Amino acid sequence: MTDLLPGARWGRATGRPLADVDPGDWLASATALRDAGHDYFDLLTAVDEQEAGFDVVVHLWSVPGRTSVLLRTRVPRAEPRLDSLAGVFKGAAWHERQAAEMFGIDFHGHPGLDPLLLPDGFDGAPLRKDFVLASRVVRPWPGAPEPGQSSAEAAVGRRKTLPPGVPAPGTWGSP
Amino acid sequence: MGEPVSVVDGLALLRAAAAARYPDVQPELPARSRGVIALFEENCTVCMLCARECPAWCIHLESHKEPVPPTHEGGRPRTRNVLDRFAIDFALCLYCGICVEVCPFDALFWSPEFAYAATDPADLVHERDRLREWMWTVPAPPPWDEGAGPAPEEPG
Repeated sequence: MTDLLPGARWGRATGRPLADVDPGDWLASATALRDAGHDYFDLLTAVDEQEAGFDVVVHLWSVPGRTSVLLRTRVPRAEPRLDSLAGVFKGAAWHERQAAEMFGIDFHGHPGLDPLLLPDGFDGAPLRKDFVLASRVVRPWPGAPEPGQSSAEAAVGRRKTLPPGVPAPGTWGSP
Repeated sequence: MGEPVSVVDGLALLRAAAAARYPDVQPELPARSRGVIALFEENCTVCMLCARECPAWCIHLESHKEPVPPTHEGGRPRTRNVLDRFAIDFALCLYCGICVEVCPFDALFWSPEFAYAATDPADLVHERDRLREWMWTVPAPPPWDEGAGPAPEEPG
């Protein structure tokens, strides 16, 4: 299988072979794996690797061979674009719609990248790690009071303990 | 990936897993079942660790300081923290058990009690009195599982 994808870097992840390819080889690599027997499309998803960009991962199965393979590529954060696999696996179209709305990745050649799960008018890509969880920001953190302090005292106190994972007020959003 | 199961085997498995007649028959729950979190209030020092570690933000604590007079002539007056409110919102709780793990004073325990469903999510916020009642349903720690390693705190 390793000679199917010229230029791929092979490794293993979650007990199965993993091929890292350049974004330019994405469509050809998925097509080659499908034609070589891994013709059952299981999933496509993305991982926010912050400054390094976004990883896009596809998991493919061979039903008769009972083997699977992971195909992965990395797109830059500044311009997250990738060829759509909807022409190779029809089922990939929904997964790409989800990756597009959740991570803000543009899938070139997709038949219709409409949001799949998010409500109309939702602004932002909520699975990006720099996305601020508004529901956390608007709620007072139950861990804010110091021992021996009521939550009312903590709300007006000078010293503020900040919850993990929520940016301090004034460091995010519009002023 | 598991081995394939034939249709005949699959039907046999379904028969074997026939549902017990709950609530007429109480279920036999496995050891360390996570039904509800109970509070042993006497051990709580209001250190706030549980509320701060909770990833679901579902533990609410209120407390105040009370003066403690000096215990001997010429001693200094001190203060102690008094718990005013301890509530867990089980509508938000994800049953991860981090609060039970993190409590340095053994004030939080897992109880296997599970029958506290409510029609309104607000009724799933349980205050200290209810959490304390559940304390009396906390089972003794189960014996070691077969093949378990030695406990780190035990010598030798």
